[in-house]
Amino acid sequence: MTDFKQIENNLKKEAKKLLESAEVPVVLAYARGYDDKHPMPFAAKSVADVEKIVFNEYCNFNMARYIMRFPDAAKIAIAAKAADSRALVVLIQEEKVRREDLVILGIPASGMKDPKTDQLIDSRTTGGLYNPVEYDILLGEEIRGQKIASPYAVLADYEAMDKEARWAFWKGQLDKCIRCYACRKACPMCYCDPCFIDQNKPRWADKAPQSPGNMMYHLTRFHHLAGRCIDCGECSRACPVGIPLYLFHKKVAKECEEMFGQAAGMNLEDKPVLVDFRVEDSDQILR
Amino acid sequence: MLKKISIKKINDLAAALMEKGTLLAPVKEAAGHNFAEIKDPQQLDLNYYNTIVSPKTVFLPQKEDFVRYETAKPVAEAQPVALNIKATFLFGVRPCDAKSFQIMDIHFHASGIIDPYWQKRRDATVIFGCAFDLDIPAQDADFYQTLGIGAADPEGSDVFMVKKGEDLLMKAITPQGEEILARLAMLGEGKPADKKYFEEYIKKGSQHQTRNMCLDPQVIAKKLEDIFHSGEFWQAQSAACLSCGICTFVCPTCYCFDICDDTLFSRGVRRRVWDACMFTDFTLEASGHNPRTHVYQRLRQKVCHKYSFHVRKYGVISCVGCGRCTRYCPVNIDIYSIIQDAMKA
Repeated sequence: MTDFKQIENNLKKEAKKLLESAEVPVVLAYARGYDDKHPMPFAAKSVADVEKIVFNEYCNFNMARYIMRFPDAAKIAIAAKAADSRALVVLIQEEKVRREDLVILGIPASGMKDPKTDQLIDSRTTGGLYNPVEYDILLGEEIRGQKIASPYAVLADYEAMDKEARWAFWKGQLDKCIRCYACRKACPMCYCDPCFIDQNKPRWADKAPQSPGNMMYHLTRFHHLAGRCIDCGECSRACPVGIPLYLFHKKVAKECEEMFGQAAGMNLEDKPVLVDFRVEDSDQILR
Repeated sequence: MLKKISIKKINDLAAALMEKGTLLAPVKEAAGHNFAEIKDPQQLDLNYYNTIVSPKTVFLPQKEDFVRYETAKPVAEAQPVALNIKATFLFGVRPCDAKSFQIMDIHFHASGIIDPYWQKRRDATVIFGCAFDLDIPAQDADFYQTLGIGAADPEGSDVFMVKKGEDLLMKAITPQGEEILARLAMLGEGKPADKKYFEEYIKKGSQHQTRNMCLDPQVIAKKLEDIFHSGEFWQAQSAACLSCGICTFVCPTCYCFDICDDTLFSRGVRRRVWDACMFTDFTLEASGHNPRTHVYQRLRQKVCHKYSFHVRKYGVISCVGCGRCTRYCPVNIDIYSIIQDAMKA
């Protein structure tokens, strides 16, 4: 595996080339935050900016989140780890961005950590892939031979619960929600403008952080991400009160994969499952 | 008056306070501690750094119901929601948060318009401040020293507490503090050595290192006015900002709220809920016009409100350096760094 420092150097080298040649006006990458453990998403717009770019085990943000912030840029370069690349694939499928307008700087990475807990970010809270699924330039050696654990293994305890227990579990978790909306803001797939929860004519839910409104917000968001969530885990890491949102997304992703034989954002040629219709599609969804 | 109690007997203290009123203290939850009502004396523990959400929740709850109504009935029949205030003990407030209450008082009381909800709760509450443990380095995000607040600063507390080995020293700072300590029979008297320890701890606290810069409120206020229109500065500072509400919701000095009517099948409640200047619809006008459509405008508003507008209007910075906004920001936006960069800009 190429180490993080080497990836950082390669990222700087490619960013410099792209900005110098004016092939792109912006390279989406990471910069140092208030210390090394807290890097930040960063938009390098000049050769001078390139020196600020960093890459380390805490650069776990999904950079696809920022792709639509530059409507004036004809082309954007973006540093993309496995999950970021899957998010880009979904955004391309959904025609939010065109493949030819992106230069994807792929980052193969394993050993990413959550700075809040210092725990390894792996298949328990994310898709657990190491290599980007789509890229133009790969900034390190492809990671081979490492065991890829099923992203759905973590669901065992959840699936052992019956309907009532699941309802009680989610009610308990969602009651904690303070409606800061960090989950939808960190999510690369949450690009609705305005989000249904911000609409006031009609208003779909209470603004107060209490049961019915919290349920309305989260359950709608969960289902709006059906077949689209690429399991980057950003929503759960962003949550200040520790709601394990990834569990619901994983459960829906698993059912989608079982019913339609495809995981979100794995292949540019796929059509999103809820957009596509095939005669042989499972009718389990209508149960 | 200096009293003390063995930390092993802290649960007896909790039980005594629960008899006299509502006891609120940091309680461990999945993601960290938060202030909550203590229902079982065993719940009280002193092993926390600080809470996720600030204790402003005690005086300004995220949701406050004002009036219940039925749309088919006349307005006169609407029922105001009674404010059921009981004597309250807010236990374990860190010095930076105790200071934040004084800043919040400006808006809810001291500037002339009295918010009865805030004021009645404030009057009914005795604040038991608690020094940070000086043996543990301050967390990286904290910068209360910059705002002139010590790690063992009793200001803003009614009773101030300091750990001394196996004991907890408790000193009354205000008459309310004197009164409650006198009513707690299980407390022992502080010895002269305890008194000396307490005073030295407070002095030592002002030297406890957090991130620190020399910051004159008038200078930073002016500086932010000068760079207010520098789109380049604010766009660079907000490049990563997701525009979520974490920083404002965990903040001890953010007080913006929205009044809304939640009606279901003709029955409704008029209530206030926290709002956040980082939300897109915060400035959405009835005409459909929105003066702050960009993320950089919203982040600029938050920073300038605390470090510029507030200084101009009330003479003090509306920030206590507790570090929560930085600590919980999903993309590590750091208000201390923004102020540092602004000073250099």
